[in-house]
Amino acid sequence: MTTAYEALAKKLVARAKKRGAAQAEAFVEIGRESSVRVRDGEIEDLTQATSKGVGLRVVAQQRLGFIYTSDFDPTGMDTFVDRALQLAQAAAPNPLNGLPTRAALKGDTIVGALYDHEVANLSPEWKIRAALEMEKAGKAFDSRVRTFDSVGAGESVGEVHLASSEGASGSYEGTYAFLYAVPVASQGDQLQTSYWVDYKRFLKDLDSPQAIGQEAARRAVRMLGAKKVKSQKVPVIFDPMMAASFVGSIAGAANGDAVFKKSSFFAPLLGKTIAPRTVTVVDDGRLEKGLGTAPFDGEGVPTRRTPLIEEGTLKAFLYDTFTARKAKTQTTGNASRGYRSMPHIGTHNLYLEPGTQPPEEIIREVKNGFYVTAMLGHGANMVTGEYSRGANGLWVENGELSQPVQEVTVAGHMLEMLKNIDAIGSDLTFRGSTGAPTIRFAELTISGE
Amino acid sequence: MVKSAPASQKPSAPLVAIPLMEKLLATAMAKGGDFAEVYVERTVSTAVTLEENKVKSAQGGLSQGVGIRVISGAKVGYAYSDDLDEAALRRAAQTAALIAKGSGAEIAFNVSRRPQPTFYRVEQALSGVDVSDKVALVVQANRAAHTFDKRVKQVIATYADQTKNVWVCNTEGHLASDIQDLARLSTHVVAEGKKGERRTGFYGGGGRVPFSHFDTFTPEQVAREAARQAVATLGAVDAKAGPQTVVLAPGWSGILLHEAVGHGLEADFIRKGTSLFAGKLGQKVASDKVTVIDDGTMANARGSLNVDDEGNAPQFKVLIERGVLKGYMYDKLNARLMGQAPTGSGRRESFKHMPLPRMTNTYLAPGEETNEEIIRGVDKGIYCAHFGGGQVDITNGNFVFEVSEAYEIEKGKLRRPLKGATLIGVGPEALKNVSHVGNDPKPDPGLGTCGKDGQSVPVGVGLPTVRIDNMTVGGTRVG
Repeated sequence: MTTAYEALAKKLVARAKKRGAAQAEAFVEIGRESSVRVRDGEIEDLTQATSKGVGLRVVAQQRLGFIYTSDFDPTGMDTFVDRALQLAQAAAPNPLNGLPTRAALKGDTIVGALYDHEVANLSPEWKIRAALEMEKAGKAFDSRVRTFDSVGAGESVGEVHLASSEGASGSYEGTYAFLYAVPVASQGDQLQTSYWVDYKRFLKDLDSPQAIGQEAARRAVRMLGAKKVKSQKVPVIFDPMMAASFVGSIAGAANGDAVFKKSSFFAPLLGKTIAPRTVTVVDDGRLEKGLGTAPFDGEGVPTRRTPLIEEGTLKAFLYDTFTARKAKTQTTGNASRGYRSMPHIGTHNLYLEPGTQPPEEIIREVKNGFYVTAMLGHGANMVTGEYSRGANGLWVENGELSQPVQEVTVAGHMLEMLKNIDAIGSDLTFRGSTGAPTIRFAELTISGE
Repeated sequence: MVKSAPASQKPSAPLVAIPLMEKLLATAMAKGGDFAEVYVERTVSTAVTLEENKVKSAQGGLSQGVGIRVISGAKVGYAYSDDLDEAALRRAAQTAALIAKGSGAEIAFNVSRRPQPTFYRVEQALSGVDVSDKVALVVQANRAAHTFDKRVKQVIATYADQTKNVWVCNTEGHLASDIQDLARLSTHVVAEGKKGERRTGFYGGGGRVPFSHFDTFTPEQVAREAARQAVATLGAVDAKAGPQTVVLAPGWSGILLHEAVGHGLEADFIRKGTSLFAGKLGQKVASDKVTVIDDGTMANARGSLNVDDEGNAPQFKVLIERGVLKGYMYDKLNARLMGQAPTGSGRRESFKHMPLPRMTNTYLAPGEETNEEIIRGVDKGIYCAHFGGGQVDITNGNFVFEVSEAYEIEKGKLRRPLKGATLIGVGPEALKNVSHVGNDPKPDPGLGTCGKDGQSVPVGVGLPTVRIDNMTVGGTRVG
């Protein structure tokens, strides 16, 4: 089958060239997925599906057109190509439009294995059993875990085929399996929830269902009795999940397009020291078994390892081909996409390198502070650097986790926050393609009572 | 809102022939399910983006497929396919059927249409409008934003539309179809002030509207409002952290209602007991001033439906009346399991998704005071003129939303612009603290997209001017 999709991509490119495109690129995605959820010891739902699609990007007279379809009926393909060229006519000519050059496409595209037969052949029974085990382990952990918002397991198997008039040609396939549990704990009038999850390319690397169920329950139960605290400025610790979300915001500010438009607070700071020497943030498209690992990016450019912040210095921004041309630099192989979208700048495996301190010690050093375990809202402004989000977690008193806290916000300016990182844990954690260890900010503003 | 007179929209020829849909129902029920449904969708979309004074690209797309659902007791089997040939669809139906463990012969099903109301009518589908007309909108918006003020430095103007054809039939013998157009024009502006200070503005709108909507809701209007926000907030000072009196401007602020109370009234959360509002029917959950309505029947609104994604008619639903909880929003599955009737709230992002109970257009009924009177009554507080987005944790009720344009209120007057403000609260508490409601109800301009369980659907929100006392404002300034 694989070769048929490669052939389709090549055929679309050839057809577009024939119909007048100066350049053309076809991106084919094929996938199947299956998942199961359980409730009270029974199956709640079972989903199974296959999907496919192709996106075609054309440049004609320096104008850019893009079209996608999930309909592979060969009789419709000529109209499909013509429509892409018609759409291009509606856009403005721009000499910067164009696909990656042959030189940019060169380089090794060897990454470790991304595909696991065990995941690809995961039986429904395995998923049902895993989900039931998570539910059971969560309820057994604490009697206050009465129910789950959802608890489930599943897998995804996908392949990508890319061809372009500039010589891009490649395919890869990958798998991942996942487990997740979202328990609800109750006590008196209060309900609290949390979640725990794992995603892995290889089944043998996946946490046990029991561990996921217990951790999810532990995180929900410890929030019971949460209340507001007074507004104040204190040291704030982000657990690895929240730290990863902060690192994601940092990468957003390193988006080459935002930088070029001066719509990022990082724009004037390349080469400058913006954080303590302990801070190194990397995007790595080659990370072994990484969920975001791929041999090439969404336009066929080999992926690589790009340090964004190295020992506290802002080292690099992320680029795709078009933005790199605008900014008179080189693509970093960070074109991200699905078949329904044109390439845009994104990350592969993004992480903050771990430090040496165990997380317990980072907490122990705080007399009075806030340990954040969940956040609400998207309040990270890339243009201004302002950061303000709803936060839940546990208060830290004399070096120990104590009273659960909710209905407060943490706020600061991301540049100040970076400078303020005064501890980095040894516990780098990936639950997805962005990872981080525990981090501590010397001071952030908490709004509450 | 004015509602159009019920009239039947001419059904289009199904993407999958009706006899095949009927056959798929039979296959889906072959293992003894209680209910089966076939959902067929074809969506054509167009988008144009203008950046840095150039129309960057024009884009189009087609997505089509079939989702088949089988319910057996409380269990659901779901399978979808974007392959429309009979063999692939039969396989999908067989897969979904496996949720029921019984055995049995295929029984034949016949489906037929029921009369169906029309709250938006598609005369000329948006997919049929020439792309150059769509390009013209973003070009005009760009020009207007730059002309508005010299300090406007970056403009991104986007137009996107889709024409979605849906057909849904089920083993209750019901067949429904709809053509759902959806358009949105929006502008994002960055303004630069002194010392390189940068502020952003965002505005836009549309709905289930004909393309001519943009003759009256003009690109100039959209762009000027986005530019106004960006310029108006230059020189903004840090918001003070802590509890304050908050006044919400009418319109788009309705997202507070959507987050603070709407999600918690969706039947799945109620059935699972994971919502703070579970078991509170008939109880006082908000102040007397609060009447909340979810209305899927508003003419041409972004969240309106002629039929929901399970084939049911949308409704005008009073969720909270004068502070008392009156009802929840039900999809078919949850209604069935809870012994209730569906409320036309079953929605899904696409054929790839199972329907969930969702909001349509959710708004707060008006009160009696004017906007000026409400502001005048505040000694010290914050006026929230425009919002970014929001999020809620259904279980503990915590919600936040980001205020993108805010002003200090001092002695009943608006003063300096504020930056970095976020509102946070617990849904029921915030509703109890609603102390004044304006006489100026206003729907949002058609901006909203709501996410739940990874599914995005268009929604409407609306609110008159509202005052909420003692609400926590997140900011960086303490004391």
